[in-house]
Amino acid sequence: MSANHGAAIASSPVRSRARVLAQIPEGHGRRLRLAVPGWSGSAPGQFLMLGAGAEGSVVRRDPLLPRPMAIYRELGASERAGERVIEVLFRVVGRGTGLLADLRDAEVVPLVGPLGRGFDAVDPEAAEAAGPALLVGGGTGIASLYEWARVLAARGRPVTVLLGARSAGDLLGWSDFEALGVPLVAATEDGSAGVRGLVTAPLADRLRESPGATVYAVGPTPMMRACAALAGSAGARCYVSLENPMACGFGVCLGCAAPRSGGGFALVCRNGPVFDAAEIDWAGLP
Amino acid sequence: MSEPRHGTSGPGGGAVAGDARVGEVDERVVLAGIPLRNAVLTASGTFGYGTELAPFLDLTRIGGFVAKSLTLEPRHGNPPPRIAEAPAGMLNAISIENVGVKAFLEEKLPALPEGVVVIASAFGTEPGLYAELVARVTAHPRVAGIEINASCPHVKAGGIEFGQDPKLLAELVATVRRATAGPLLVKLSPNVTRIADMAKVCEAEGADGITLINAIQAMEVDVERRRPVLSNVLGGLSGPAIRPIALRMVWQAAQAVRIPICGVGGIASAEDAVKFLLCGASAVQVGTLNYLDPTAAVAIAEGIADYARRHGFARVADLTGALVSPKGK
Repeated sequence: MSANHGAAIASSPVRSRARVLAQIPEGHGRRLRLAVPGWSGSAPGQFLMLGAGAEGSVVRRDPLLPRPMAIYRELGASERAGERVIEVLFRVVGRGTGLLADLRDAEVVPLVGPLGRGFDAVDPEAAEAAGPALLVGGGTGIASLYEWARVLAARGRPVTVLLGARSAGDLLGWSDFEALGVPLVAATEDGSAGVRGLVTAPLADRLRESPGATVYAVGPTPMMRACAALAGSAGARCYVSLENPMACGFGVCLGCAAPRSGGGFALVCRNGPVFDAAEIDWAGLP
Repeated sequence: MSEPRHGTSGPGGGAVAGDARVGEVDERVVLAGIPLRNAVLTASGTFGYGTELAPFLDLTRIGGFVAKSLTLEPRHGNPPPRIAEAPAGMLNAISIENVGVKAFLEEKLPALPEGVVVIASAFGTEPGLYAELVARVTAHPRVAGIEINASCPHVKAGGIEFGQDPKLLAELVATVRRATAGPLLVKLSPNVTRIADMAKVCEAEGADGITLINAIQAMEVDVERRRPVLSNVLGGLSGPAIRPIALRMVWQAAQAVRIPICGVGGIASAEDAVKFLLCGASAVQVGTLNYLDPTAAVAIAEGIADYARRHGFARVADLTGALVSPKGK
């Protein structure tokens, strides 16, 4: 595998102080571009923990916990040695993301990552498989799929990306996905972009047309549950990425437990966030 | 918090990483008979089994760590949601999810680098189970001491904590004391009216030290859903929000007993840690802060040494109880 595919490399996580390069409005959301000292890259599907706001002259302890965020894009080395540029996408949903939206250029925000097991680590067949890949993103879950779509396309896999959201302004990263040149489908609940309705409808169509497909779904729990059920009926494998609340991201707070279908719990941060959908007890997820 | 200094020589020169001294200050302390290279441990339940934090810090540069509380058999915790955010803190209701004593001894301990001080944390639903577990763990050469977690619900007594009932606590400490000759700490619950009474019970029954405080019982509600946030309804509040309460309890316990105290509760900086030492703690534990800054414990240890140097203390150990109290208090 060439270095450009980059997906099998699991970098050791770092605790770093990221520098804000830009904060760009992205529809109803935000795109945060960060230069991260000590960052050596991530695998598609991994995540990071981002401090809730700037590290200023006074250390803020409220809100206390960092926010788990998908690593949306890897943009390579910055102009400074030992530093790489990444992007995250988010929507303001509470105090923490509100403080992130206040970040200004050159401010510093603490960060831990890359964390967790990405798509390649969890789907052992992904590296060799040739069948169609159906990537389904809902809401901010879209952010987990860009690098995976890029890597799969570079491997020559037939990739279709289906993005669902409330309205056109919630289709974060749309132009980046367009630039990948892969088939791209939008579904919005208000019909302001693509087909009106839930993204599961176009997924059902594609599953009928794509024997031997693998589904990778990231979004709200009901969406992922529905994708898993559709894939199951079509005899397709389905992988999801869970977004449970967590305090640490590296396996010690045990806050992010997700019930396993076979009993017991998996840690979203360490065993996931990507899981084979069949491994999850969907009825037990809050 | 002071900036972490990852260099090897302090202003005094000559000190190397892992050395007990930074500059002219002797960082070493003894806690309940356990010699520590510095006064900063990390708290049970916030540091896993140690290896999880190895990517972020050199485990031999902290005083030591208290491992996740163990039960005799592996144990699953509560269903999600298990955590909630709170002002300057968080709630958790994990319920002692752990790998069990066998996996701890055979897999977790051998995975640690040499030179890491490990304190094992024991939990059970009755004194005999604690004692059985402690007897198995105490024999392992990598275990420097035992901390018994007396701050979780007691099944037989209908949900009360060992640490809330002096008679139950006395029975627990006495039973465990017979199971180990090694250093024995008791981690007390803050959910009591008079912490000094509980501290005295531990001392009378032969504990070598006390760790306090554990998380404070608390609750949070999701008003939109009209439901408790935690599946367990009740959880434990930790983080900077509880620090002044923890400090008060350490001070009160220190007035009441002569055995050493390990102070824990919301420590987020070297300054916070020094407060606990001044109030009578011989060492401290960093807990919830590890979640957001897994490198914090090393920086806090260095900051304590800086404080000692600035204030003319030759040894960090001399900070213990060095609080200047108003007359008559």
